[in-house]
Amino acid sequence: MRCSVLYGAMRDRLDRAALSRMIAGAAAQIREQHPRLSELDSAAGDGDHGTAMLRSMDRLEKGFASGPPACLKTCFQQGGWNLFGADGGASSSLLGTFFLGMADGVAANVSSMDCRDLSLAFESGLNAVRQQTKAQPGDKTMMDALVPAVATFTATAQNGKSMEAALEEAAHAAKAGAEATRNFTARYGRARFLGEKTRGHQDPGATSIALLFEGFHDGLREPHGETGNA
Amino acid sequence: MPMKKFINRPENIVPELLQGLALAHPKQVRLVGNNLIARAKPKVWGKVGLVTLGGSGHEPGLSGFVGDGMLDVSVAGEIFAAPGAPRCLEALRLANGGAGVLFVVLNHAGDVLSSNITMQMAQREGLNVRIVLTHEDIAGGPKPEDRRGLVGFLPVYKVAGAAAEQGLPLEKCVELAERMERNARTLSVAVRTATHPATGQPIFDLGDDEMEVGMGQHGEAGTGRMKLKGADETASLMLQMLLDDLEVKPDEELLVIVNGAGATTLMELFILFRRVHQILTEKQIKLVRAKVGEFITTQEQAGFQLMIARMDAELIHYWDAPCDAPYFTVR
Repeated sequence: MRCSVLYGAMRDRLDRAALSRMIAGAAAQIREQHPRLSELDSAAGDGDHGTAMLRSMDRLEKGFASGPPACLKTCFQQGGWNLFGADGGASSSLLGTFFLGMADGVAANVSSMDCRDLSLAFESGLNAVRQQTKAQPGDKTMMDALVPAVATFTATAQNGKSMEAALEEAAHAAKAGAEATRNFTARYGRARFLGEKTRGHQDPGATSIALLFEGFHDGLREPHGETGNA
Repeated sequence: MPMKKFINRPENIVPELLQGLALAHPKQVRLVGNNLIARAKPKVWGKVGLVTLGGSGHEPGLSGFVGDGMLDVSVAGEIFAAPGAPRCLEALRLANGGAGVLFVVLNHAGDVLSSNITMQMAQREGLNVRIVLTHEDIAGGPKPEDRRGLVGFLPVYKVAGAAAEQGLPLEKCVELAERMERNARTLSVAVRTATHPATGQPIFDLGDDEMEVGMGQHGEAGTGRMKLKGADETASLMLQMLLDDLEVKPDEELLVIVNGAGATTLMELFILFRRVHQILTEKQIKLVRAKVGEFITTQEQAGFQLMIARMDAELIHYWDAPCDAPYFTVR
């Protein structure tokens, strides 16, 4: 895939430009899939998860497009604030919490990070979300996708794989986690009031997380020119 | 079928409705900052501020209760979605008059998340804020954390708002709000769905011959789907569940609120209220205060919420105190 070890190592650092591409990739996924997210949400909620996610990703992407500072910590912080500001109910609050938590896991004043740095940031983001919700994997929430995505990213990164490979694995894990929610009963959020009736429907929040990771991977992969838009 | 609603662009619903509210009631409210509804004339310095948050699409709730003797600032979110923490923090700063702020939060996942994040930020700034969570919907089950906040926010705003207006300290305002909240119980019923104004889709399905007791504020389904019943039978069924849950005894004093969901007429609400009154009279329970109307709605959903609250002399005193909000005035 890569011409040399040295080139690979240099490519394998995430800077502001690469982060912006990841965000853009995630926004593109949500833009394409938002009707499906709303449809999934109408099974147990009020059917507006897709529009809320669309609003969140617009805010997030705009924040990055308008020239964020090179300091990655500040990028994540601003991303978190922009998500909070999207007024998208629980989903934008939790996503914003994830980004602010990622900021906490990034050293100050660094303008690029390696695969291990990114996995520490993801872990820190997940911990911040855990402080806001008691939901565990199996409860039919975004945690069903987020927890395996972060764990898989970390494990893949520890095996010495590239950032792109780790994101690809993470996206697969998130997708599998989201699909598994079909068999679960909702225990959190508005959907919990439906209990058993939620079985058979895939959770929209988990689906969104899977799309975000898929989009992160798309964004990071694009300049390599391997497949273009998958 | 196209949605028959008088809206312009879906993304402009919230700012346009808030502009309309402020323009229609300029003596009571104004639109400030990032789409916050605040009192037309801020409270004098040194009194407790009262702030709330909640999704839009439930008019006149919650912004219709901003005014003298009630709320200081309301943070309206998007349709059926909680506003984020940045605007809530802006509202707390605005309402802070040096005596602390009481932040009334209805128990819904998004609202609770936003308010928790807001509290962390407020504490970092040194703002003195206390949260009172309302969760009086008995359809949620026995655990208070599973019970949603429905129209029971209204007496909490009223009582705490009156106490704050009279210059009582934050501790006392919190105590009154919590006492009011603890003694309130609500149950809702839906007979016909509403259209989500942003997506144009119905928010739930309900058969022509069915009703659902325990329906939440956004169409998140309840647990009591049953054959449609008449007014007296429905009122009686729901009232009995509320009386049992609150363990009301004869001679106790109740506030009763019948809140229309949007498409149920005042005619129907009065017919229902009349039956509630009859039953309470038979049981020798005192119906000391009542309100019948639309306080929190869900678009053109048909149905209603029935709230009962055990009152005492102090709660009645603050319920009766003057207030002047667009949708609640006591002179």
